[in-house]
Amino acid sequence: MDKQIIHELEKLLGDEAVVSAREEILLYEYDGSVEEARPDCVVFPRNTADVSAIARISAKHGVPMVGRGAGTGLSGGALAVQGGILTVFSRMNRILKIDEENLRAVVQPGVVNLDVTRAVEHLGLYFAPDPSSQKACTIGGNVAENAGGPHTLAYGVTTNHVTGLELVLPNGDVVRVGGATCETPGYDLTGLMVGSEGTLAIVSEITVKLSRKPEAVKTLLAVFNNIDDAPETVADFTGRAITPAACEMLDGWTLRAVEEFVHAGFPLDSGAVLLIEVEGLKETVEEQATQIAEICKSHHAREVRVARDAAERDLLWKGRKNAFGAVGRLSPSYYVQDAVIPRTKLPETLRKINEIGKRYGFTIGNIFHAGDGNLHPIILFDQRDSEEFKRAVAASGEIMRHCIECGGALTGEHGIGMEKNELMPLMFSDADMELMRRVREAFNPGGHLNPAKVLPLGKGCKEVRIPSGAASLGIL
Amino acid sequence: MSAATSDVAQLTAARIAQRFGVENTVVSAADLAGYEVDGMRPAATVFAKSPEEIADLLKFAGSEKLGVIPCGARTKLGIGMFPAKYDIALDLSRMNRVLAFEPRDLTLGVEPGMRFSALAATLAGEKQFLPLNPPFFQRATIGGILAADSASPLRHSYGGPRDFVLGLEFVTGEGAIAKSGGRVVKNVSGYDLHKLLIGSLGTLAVITRANFKTFPTPSEQVVFVAAFDDAAAALEFCKTLASSPLGALQVDVISPDAAQIFTAHSDAEIALPAQRWNMVVSAAGNARAVERHRRELPLIAEQAKASGLVALGDTVQSMKVAAALLGRIREFPALVLIANAVATIFWIAALPSTMAAVAQRLGKLAKEHSMPTATVIRPHGLIYFAILPASSDAIAVGKLAKFSEAVFRTSDELGSKTRIEFAPTELKRAVNVWGASRPDFELARRVKKVFDPGYVLSPGRFAGGI
Repeated sequence: MDKQIIHELEKLLGDEAVVSAREEILLYEYDGSVEEARPDCVVFPRNTADVSAIARISAKHGVPMVGRGAGTGLSGGALAVQGGILTVFSRMNRILKIDEENLRAVVQPGVVNLDVTRAVEHLGLYFAPDPSSQKACTIGGNVAENAGGPHTLAYGVTTNHVTGLELVLPNGDVVRVGGATCETPGYDLTGLMVGSEGTLAIVSEITVKLSRKPEAVKTLLAVFNNIDDAPETVADFTGRAITPAACEMLDGWTLRAVEEFVHAGFPLDSGAVLLIEVEGLKETVEEQATQIAEICKSHHAREVRVARDAAERDLLWKGRKNAFGAVGRLSPSYYVQDAVIPRTKLPETLRKINEIGKRYGFTIGNIFHAGDGNLHPIILFDQRDSEEFKRAVAASGEIMRHCIECGGALTGEHGIGMEKNELMPLMFSDADMELMRRVREAFNPGGHLNPAKVLPLGKGCKEVRIPSGAASLGIL
Repeated sequence: MSAATSDVAQLTAARIAQRFGVENTVVSAADLAGYEVDGMRPAATVFAKSPEEIADLLKFAGSEKLGVIPCGARTKLGIGMFPAKYDIALDLSRMNRVLAFEPRDLTLGVEPGMRFSALAATLAGEKQFLPLNPPFFQRATIGGILAADSASPLRHSYGGPRDFVLGLEFVTGEGAIAKSGGRVVKNVSGYDLHKLLIGSLGTLAVITRANFKTFPTPSEQVVFVAAFDDAAAALEFCKTLASSPLGALQVDVISPDAAQIFTAHSDAEIALPAQRWNMVVSAAGNARAVERHRRELPLIAEQAKASGLVALGDTVQSMKVAAALLGRIREFPALVLIANAVATIFWIAALPSTMAAVAQRLGKLAKEHSMPTATVIRPHGLIYFAILPASSDAIAVGKLAKFSEAVFRTSDELGSKTRIEFAPTELKRAVNVWGASRPDFELARRVKKVFDPGYVLSPGRFAGGI
């Protein structure tokens, strides 16, 4: 990178807020995905004015500008794939306002997801989106990727909990869209921005909705001998109009891996478990828990255990949320997908994944948000073996194609990023993507904001991308 | 002289009929009268049956520099500014099929011309529903409800369409057939372009298919009615209710004049007490949850000094009364427009913390300006403030414009986002229904340029002169 750019950035932010030495940048070459890419420099703005000035410098010199929170993303959204200025929001981590009566908080992008809940829980409130990385990931990153989590089943993903944004446009202009009110007349630009992965504008302030904590919570663990019974059970919940707050499935292989690592209490000899949570009025919760237990039993659950207290509940969730860390101990490399399928297609899709795994000679673990059909099949492989690597790519592609063919989507919560952009044609037509490309061009002319993300670079590739260094941090 | 009577319009009409087929076209003046927007009559109406036909029409309109307004049941064509040009009404009422309803997946795909009432009946067969619950319930179509982002009382508990539309398929103003989102309940693939279309008044694209998440119908429901001395007291009650675990399906606070409109349009049994602000709360769930509402809500009401709390819904007869009352509340804008053809209805997105102040100051303002008004407040964040002027002559319009400007000023000062939803055309010539210009309008114009660079679709009707 031109020394002049570094000099301008140092003049703007101070020497300590600009990092360009190769060894210091190393940490920022990775995120939670399997990708890596080196920025030319890393900068740490303190406020919106800094972000705006960085954007102006980036525009003036025509170098990429990429936003980054905690780097926990799973699709490479926060990696500077074409180099340039990586803008890290760790110093913009203040909660600017808590508005209890209107159920809003105004936060800077670097605020950690769980810190929002921590700041309001004494008021009986919380921030609903709960990605498994919520102890580390930031609201800015959640907004960029439209992050989800186990409880999105009942409460929706990030976009359902954001009402307003302050944006820094690529030329440095600062514009507010939406606001604190439940709606704003005009096009829903907030809705467009959330999930646009930092390719349209940089978000410098976020107005989020706060939710009231439910009166009662019950967490159930249903244990199945036969793996096929678990997805049938989930399909039956939906069919009988029961929407739990969360409904997670772990297959036998995965739960054993987790149990050895976390000791959450998952029975080692089971074929699959469902981790189900119901929330709401205590009258509703009691009835739903009873119905859920009955449905599980009608599908041959050998045991339905109800967490007796908060400690037991936390332990079960710890097992779920640390699952990828557990899997990471077992294989040199693994690759996780994020496809969504219609819930009625769960049983056949899991059989299909198993069949694909057998055919290609892989163990494929399944741990996922079963309630909304959001799969996370994990393919274990050794990337040092180039033949095996090729087979992993092929198996992964076959799974994804099957999911799209049964009416599904490429990603339920991880984002497209640089990981799945070449797969976009599986789901979208040329006209769909051309329109998206033109929307990007309208907001980000020249494309120096987070280049090479979301939309395919080439045409007709449709290849799953599993790059080098495929050893994930396992935060999901 | 209206457009349809001019020679140019007749020529245009003839060419449209030739191109799209006489059986798909309406060109007679009498039939076109029903498609008027702000006094402007199109040269022709074209009925489309597929995205391809819509694309063909929009490309034709683009090349001829014609203005096209998409419509369904035409219940909300009055929303927005008067069109800059209006040559073709694109009638989507023949695209009225359910394309996919998967009750066991709780998902639905439907064409834009489907009437909401018909769709609701289909869903009810599977004990499911869509929480759109719009005004003009019987006739309103899915496309129109989404394009106008119709206000539903159920937003209190279910949010708006942006929260349960899974994806849209559409034809852009340029004639490109495209889509965004998907058909499954969770999806973050690609840009959420469909969110832009919700509430865009047909200025970006014509919706050809909407995919929704559906919801199970709760088994039991109870409706409470109580009276308060003023809006502030009713809203104070709502605040207490909101911070209790009880929750509600919908909550509406009704001004005395609004109650009068309801009473005038309903069977005698829904007479709400005159001179008081009434609050209507509906709660739903299983039998035990509803029973708890019946037990605990009166206690909150007592503390809030509510009078005459009534719980409806325990007998068939009282459920009928409750349903009629909720129906009147849902239809508030429609009933106002029936009561007064020149009514002006403000849509005010207000912060719950300032609602009482907004209501109080608007009430005072109405008195100062001697304007008859009617108000419905939805404590989750919407105030419907209707003005019912005695006449629409020039002097009255001037007075109304002055009052409207004061309403904008007052509600915006208190942090609200304000627009006029319905207004007589005469008022639109004096007041921009979208309120003051905002910095983000420039971004909105960029979006418009991508979808509809020729300004073919509903030109001039939207915020920011779009």
